[in-house]
Amino acid sequence: MEIREFMDRVLTAAQAAGMEPAEVCASTSESFSVRVRLGEMEDYQVSDSLNVTLRGNLNGRIGTSSTQALDEESIDMLVRGVMESAQLVETEDQEEILPPEAAYASVCNFKPELQDVSAQEKIALAMEIDRLVSQADARVTPQHIVVASGAETFCLRNTLGLDLSHESNMIYAYAGAMAREGERTGTGMKLLWGYGLADVPAGEIANGAVREALDKLHAGKLASGVYPVVIRNSAMADLLTTFSGIFSADNAQKGLSLLAGREGQAIASACVTLMDDPLMPWGLGSCPFDREGAATRKKPVIENGVLATLLHNRRTAKKAGVRTTGNAAGGGRVAPSNFYLVPGEMDEAQMLSQMGDGLLITGVTGLHAGANAVSGDFSLLACGFEVKGGKPVRAVEQFTVAGNFYTLLEETLAVGSDLLFEGSPVGSPCVRVKQLSVAGE
Amino acid sequence: MISKSVCEQVLACALSRGGTFAEIFYEDSKNFSMRLRSGHIEAAGVSRPRGAGIRIYDNLRSIYVYTCDVTPEGLLRAAKKAAAAVTDSLGTGRDVRLCERAVTDIHPVRERTLDVPTDRRAQVLRAADAAARAVSPSITQVTASLLSREQHVLIANSDGLYTGDTRVYTRLLCSAVAGDGAQNQTGSENPGARMGFELFSERVNPEEVGRTAATSAVTMLSAPYCAAGEMPVVIAGGFGGVIFHEACGHSLEATSVAPGISEFSGKLGQQIAAPCVTAIDDGTMVGEWGSENIDDEGTPTTRLVLIENGVLKNYMVDRLNGLKMGMAPTGNARRESYAYAPTSRMRNTFIAPGTDDEEEMLRTMGDGLYAAKMGGGSVNPATGEFNFAVQEGYLVRDGKIVSPVRGASLIGRGSEILTRIDRVGRTMTMGQGMCGSLSGSVPTNVGQPTIRVSRLTVGGK
Repeated sequence: MEIREFMDRVLTAAQAAGMEPAEVCASTSESFSVRVRLGEMEDYQVSDSLNVTLRGNLNGRIGTSSTQALDEESIDMLVRGVMESAQLVETEDQEEILPPEAAYASVCNFKPELQDVSAQEKIALAMEIDRLVSQADARVTPQHIVVASGAETFCLRNTLGLDLSHESNMIYAYAGAMAREGERTGTGMKLLWGYGLADVPAGEIANGAVREALDKLHAGKLASGVYPVVIRNSAMADLLTTFSGIFSADNAQKGLSLLAGREGQAIASACVTLMDDPLMPWGLGSCPFDREGAATRKKPVIENGVLATLLHNRRTAKKAGVRTTGNAAGGGRVAPSNFYLVPGEMDEAQMLSQMGDGLLITGVTGLHAGANAVSGDFSLLACGFEVKGGKPVRAVEQFTVAGNFYTLLEETLAVGSDLLFEGSPVGSPCVRVKQLSVAGE
Repeated sequence: MISKSVCEQVLACALSRGGTFAEIFYEDSKNFSMRLRSGHIEAAGVSRPRGAGIRIYDNLRSIYVYTCDVTPEGLLRAAKKAAAAVTDSLGTGRDVRLCERAVTDIHPVRERTLDVPTDRRAQVLRAADAAARAVSPSITQVTASLLSREQHVLIANSDGLYTGDTRVYTRLLCSAVAGDGAQNQTGSENPGARMGFELFSERVNPEEVGRTAATSAVTMLSAPYCAAGEMPVVIAGGFGGVIFHEACGHSLEATSVAPGISEFSGKLGQQIAAPCVTAIDDGTMVGEWGSENIDDEGTPTTRLVLIENGVLKNYMVDRLNGLKMGMAPTGNARRESYAYAPTSRMRNTFIAPGTDDEEEMLRTMGDGLYAAKMGGGSVNPATGEFNFAVQEGYLVRDGKIVSPVRGASLIGRGSEILTRIDRVGRTMTMGQGMCGSLSGSVPTNVGQPTIRVSRLTVGGK
């Protein structure tokens, strides 16, 4: 059965079962990826997949169910699933199913030409990166070289006349390199992404991974203590991703974020402006409508240190007496779109020289375990450089860096100019922070 | 399900341009999930992931194509796409004849969650919520979720295998927040099993789960930050086993051993751990979260000794990496779903019981950290660098527990920590986790008795 026909059939069956209104959303996607190492293709993967979700209002209660199979059994399963779910769900503040808004902005993150790039071209790119990493330095070998692309169509319809769809695609290339000398090992990675082969140049990717692996090869230990810190853009983006949930009004209303009721108050240093921009041209998280069909818009979440708004869907907005910010993410959740710290004036080198002595953190790992989005506490394995007289003088690793994200926002001294989205809709420039605790030797 | 003759046609099509091996993995699953928060059921629903993945070995290269279109035409289309990527014409045009093999279910389900009346399912969450809130007035939020998965799979390959299996999982996740307005601390408890709804009458008491999560959060609310430095650490059993899982287990998976990335590559038969350490990966334990009947390549599951008295005995091997390493598959090939090609993964992985006294190891440790409850962690298999969060830690002074501490993490290298284990207790317990790697997120048990590590870097502030 074709997907459009399936959606029609599901909506008809939902109405026949008494759901008024009902909404069906479908995402279809295709993906390609190839992994090579030492001149050999190790892995080649192609897919097409889909997912269809039905939401329906039965006597004031909304239920949900989903399927990946487009057959008669699934239509029946979706309808019965919603009925069962609607009986169970007992929260009084339901997500509504509403008619379309008067107008939606347009934003593009789909390049038709990318669909014409052949598998052979992508394999050739991976092979070229692999070759460059292999030849760069006798101590370095490629670990994983991946080139991948994907395209997705998201379609949202309801029985009140809503009929929206959005298409996106992207390609990325990644190199993981390993340097070995005697008993010492260092690993490095580099990822670039975009909408065509020109956005993922082999040389830059290979060099980035090789340089990081070699840097870490001679990394030493760092003495425990409290250090002034510059956090590199990619590491800061990782932290921001992990703690993005504290800006969700849903979390705040349920006691899972300490930002509840803090709108209009200073929660960060004055140099911090945090933006959510679903209409950013060529943004990975760009879409003119959210998961509820609400029109999306660009807005500061933190403006010059003051909490301007939390991120809302219609339900949390109604509860708070405000307008939705267009951040409904499905399943009652709220999530950012393209989410980033607005860049300042200085690049990383200038930030380091302004800091003088301290620590440059280039990477943090263990975020799924060592960072707690509810308390804001983090204690993470990190690597980077010791900084003396404004210059990185010595690579360091095997230390933990500990702090609290709420405190980090307050103690941010400067935000850099090098805004980076590393294959994610959450991005950041480097930031300079007053101090963080380090456990090393 | 897909008939034998359709599978034969699809496998033959997959090998039509060459390739030494082809496999179909078909899945039709029914999942149910329900979440309670702020005292109310706020979400509930069923989902039906269904699709098939076709894999070809093109010499030692893996070609994988998956699709949601599981009609005979859809499967043939996917097989053609996969065949188009074959470069080595070795073995072109093989005829495939399948022979059905029955699987004995060693984890029989007594009560299907989907057949249990919805109010009884909701009652599990309400019981956990009420018990958690009763612990202290400082509990400000409780989130409890019930997850149930029923995965029906069919596996057929060009060696003639045609088999199927049903995997049933049930899990209760409970997370509690303790707060005083200015700060929040969390505690969680997430038991699960390869069982149906009988989990809650036979093994897991939802009230106990809620109480444990809440008590941990309340304890941490009044705890000072952990001081940083190198010190001896005693790690309690249960989820404490995550330390072996991350620090060592991942580096014993063929995924990192075959390409020589692992720090344990080429070390079979060598002493890699202290003599008190014996470690096992066991897929045969009845009803356990990481258990199997067959793996996702159709290989019957096994009990595998990884390390015996400190000596490396076995790696965990999937079929393709086995070919690269010249080793037989060990029943460890796993994948999250049809959307992933399988690779070597852990099942129920634990440090076996030893002979040491739990009380003695604390008493004689001097100053250090007692990690009563671990959070998750991760490892870089190339360097062996690991990191773990301590969910509930206690400061030890002169062999005595002095006070709880928050925000501690443990870092180090796998090869180092294995040689620094100087005590292994007598009672092994396990905890449940979802382990993420190349082939997605799969249910695994971690486990150990209480152990002591003579020196570890503890992160804190």
